[in-house]
Amino acid sequence: MPREAEPSLNERQFVLQALRENLRLDGRPFDKYRPVELIFGEQYGVVEVSFGKTKILAKTSAELTVPYVDRPLDGIFTIATELSPMTAPSFEVNRPTETEVLLSRLLEKTVRRSGALDTESLCLVAGQKCWSVRVDVHVLSHDGDLTDAACLAVVAALRHFRKPDTSIEGGLLTVYTPAEREPVPLSWLHSPFCVTWSFYGDQGEMALLDATLSEEHVRVGSCTISMNRHGEICQIAKLGGTPVDAVALLQCTNVALVKVKDFSAFLDRKLAEDAKRRDKGGLMAELSAENDR
Amino acid sequence: MAATDRIIVLPGDTIDPAVIPTPRRNAIRLGPGLRHVQATNSIVPTVAGQLITDHGKGSMWVESSTGHYIPAISDLVIGQITRSQGDYYLVNLSPYTPNATLPHLSFEAATKKTRPQLNPGALVYARVTLANRHMDPELECVSQTTGKGDGLGPLTGGMVFDVSLGMARRLLLSKPREYGGVAVLELLADEGLAFETAVGRNGKVWVGSDKSEANTRMVIAVGRALRETDERGLDVEAQKKLVRRIMKELSR
Repeated sequence: MPREAEPSLNERQFVLQALRENLRLDGRPFDKYRPVELIFGEQYGVVEVSFGKTKILAKTSAELTVPYVDRPLDGIFTIATELSPMTAPSFEVNRPTETEVLLSRLLEKTVRRSGALDTESLCLVAGQKCWSVRVDVHVLSHDGDLTDAACLAVVAALRHFRKPDTSIEGGLLTVYTPAEREPVPLSWLHSPFCVTWSFYGDQGEMALLDATLSEEHVRVGSCTISMNRHGEICQIAKLGGTPVDAVALLQCTNVALVKVKDFSAFLDRKLAEDAKRRDKGGLMAELSAENDR
Repeated sequence: MAATDRIIVLPGDTIDPAVIPTPRRNAIRLGPGLRHVQATNSIVPTVAGQLITDHGKGSMWVESSTGHYIPAISDLVIGQITRSQGDYYLVNLSPYTPNATLPHLSFEAATKKTRPQLNPGALVYARVTLANRHMDPELECVSQTTGKGDGLGPLTGGMVFDVSLGMARRLLLSKPREYGGVAVLELLADEGLAFETAVGRNGKVWVGSDKSEANTRMVIAVGRALRETDERGLDVEAQKKLVRRIMKELSR
């Protein structure tokens, strides 16, 4: 297995020296994200998110299956993360690296375990038929801060996704094609986002948002905070590294809330733009078989 | 460089004999991207790109735009020491490629006792002396004929910036502004910035300066100017504008 390319000593020293002088290589302030781009695909549930040179593609799909025996009333929801050798030759297929394991674990905790998607609504016939919703996350290019970008991509893909409409009449389940009935969105409860802080210095006194790959190489610790725009924290992951002062961490969560609100507003705007683009002739309201809640 | 009209070649093309230089004294020198086929006694391009001929030096080669650096003899490169093995340092020229070797003694005035001790991760500016296919390349940091370093050797301090291979080639031309359309370093120096650079043909530019206050800012500014010129394909006029903007930011 090829080893990951490490930055040279000169680069390490320079990045740290620059941070000590309150400078970042791309000229950003410490608490600012790179330009975030989000493009929806032609299909429902396909989205491409880029943070600077980090690029993530997420694709949502749904199929009918039998629910798990121990959870007959719940649908199935999975997130599959893949870091392919296209990202960097050090990533191999079928041999997950630590980065990949941590990424999928954090996404799982943030999106699935926080109950963002109502899995009960995916069940069609108790114990017999349910939807299995699957999000595939592909990392196309890795320049640091994968977690935040991947989380945004997953949430955007799920909120953009439409599953085929169904009806049950006299115990007979009918699945309608998009031509018969307009597909319906998933039952979405809240939108969690990840904000990752990287810490530098002997006591971890410098905190950076959205670290690039070269900055990630020299950090002494990191902390991923997931929350929604109401300030409800879904999870906090600080996996090893230098201990960080509690007050500083509190400050980090406060800034994270501001960023999460930004993400939330950004995603709402993008979804509205996309809906407007698809709503040719303003017929969407009449086509929809959905009830307003 | 006496470039004639732009000739674009594809692999396997036949080259018009009129453009092939005919040096009177010695044999013609073929650079990267060309091969001599003995069966037909012809010169055949092996890559797609622009054919460059130099009638004065009797040499020709193909300039192509690739993402992957392939070492060629007498290229100047910036390498990263991986480790020391026996009498050699193993040097990485680009990520995920086999290491090049750099003998411990091929530094300026190096003897067994005075050779530089380089740790893994240190940077060296070196010249490629051996670049055969299917073999690890070899490097040197000293001129074999004069025994001088000529600016080659370990790079201390500073920062390395990744640029495209085409940009590195343009920066290494004898007159980057006239032939390559890259004036950004010249313009920054005209504005009074004092920095030094080393350009590696493997798409790396090292920027350093003396140890004083505010030099970190300057090195970052130079690096950003280089990368922006490269990524956005700026011409000389746009580079002037970029330099003015960067100088304004620096003085703030």
